[in-house]
Amino acid sequence: MLPSILNGHAMNEHTPLEAQVITVTSGKGGVGKTTLTANVGIALAQLGRKVVVVDSDIGLRNLDLVMGLEHRIVYDIVDYVEGRCRLRQALIRDKRAAELFLLPAAQTRDKTAVTPQQMIQVCDELRKEFEFILIDSPAGIEQGFQNALAPADLVLVVINPEVSSVRDADRVIGLAESQGKTQIYLVINRVVPARVKRQEMLSVEDIKEVLSTEIIGIVPEDDAILSASNRGMPVVCNGKGPAALAYRDIARRLSGEHVPLEIPQALGWWQRLFGKAS
Amino acid sequence: MEALNRFFVKSNSAQVAKQRLQTLLAYDRLEIPPGVLALIKDDIVAAISRRVSVDCEHVNVNLLHEQNSSKLVVDIPLIANRGARAVRSAGRSNAR
Repeated sequence: MLPSILNGHAMNEHTPLEAQVITVTSGKGGVGKTTLTANVGIALAQLGRKVVVVDSDIGLRNLDLVMGLEHRIVYDIVDYVEGRCRLRQALIRDKRAAELFLLPAAQTRDKTAVTPQQMIQVCDELRKEFEFILIDSPAGIEQGFQNALAPADLVLVVINPEVSSVRDADRVIGLAESQGKTQIYLVINRVVPARVKRQEMLSVEDIKEVLSTEIIGIVPEDDAILSASNRGMPVVCNGKGPAALAYRDIARRLSGEHVPLEIPQALGWWQRLFGKAS
Repeated sequence: MEALNRFFVKSNSAQVAKQRLQTLLAYDRLEIPPGVLALIKDDIVAAISRRVSVDCEHVNVNLLHEQNSSKLVVDIPLIANRGARAVRSAGRSNAR
């Protein structure tokens, strides 16, 4: 087995990294894949990395919406695969960071418009230009998922602390392993520490025990996410809330920094009254 | 005590969720469809009943899962043959 990336490899910020394809997936829908892809992509770019985020949800694209780039789409991944444009023409530059691009999905086609082999070819092209290629996978385990999984060097499985999401994640981890993927990490999204404390919600430890997979990030539930998606301005752009901090930590871990994993704790009554610092 | 617990910990549904998941994933990983355990139970009962009397109502077939291994735990209560006992005691009374 490869060594865990979570140990950190103390890279200088300006040392270019070998390109990595990271697939964000989950099995279950609505757990926060797209939000995570957008935020971690932007956070990596804020760290000075060259990043492209790829929407592989052909027919139901929405990474562009979460990032607020929907009006700038001219060509998409299917146009490139079918030879109607060059790759550069399909890439949309996000001006919020120095080197951040979006490769949008087509809205009018379906998952079969691109094959896993073509996804690998697209990513091989992108590897020449970028350090991080983040693929937002569609929900499910059909061809769209297979497309997103095929080129992955590293798989991020997003889950919510909830029975059906954890079960689907187990299936997805099994499928990824059967494709020879060894770098598989969990992101536990939408954790509500107060509910974990009241034993109404699966804890991080419970999930780790049940899935026996390493955790790369824990993202607390955060009201800022909805308004960020309303505006098309992901929380890492300027947010200081718990989710923004968690996404930035995930980006730092992916970029090789050793950032200890902190399990979010519920505030006591004193802290709730007088603020977290006291 | 239980009433007290119920008062302080409103719902320990997280523990229920964890247990359900552990069972569910054990079945998923072994690719055992939900109904198969009941079929296995019927097969075992049929096989053993050919030799001895089985208390069919109380047969239990469970999947026990630990970190790295899973096993079937089968509990089959047998019925003592009352008829045989009666015959024996009857025999004894005859001998008296």
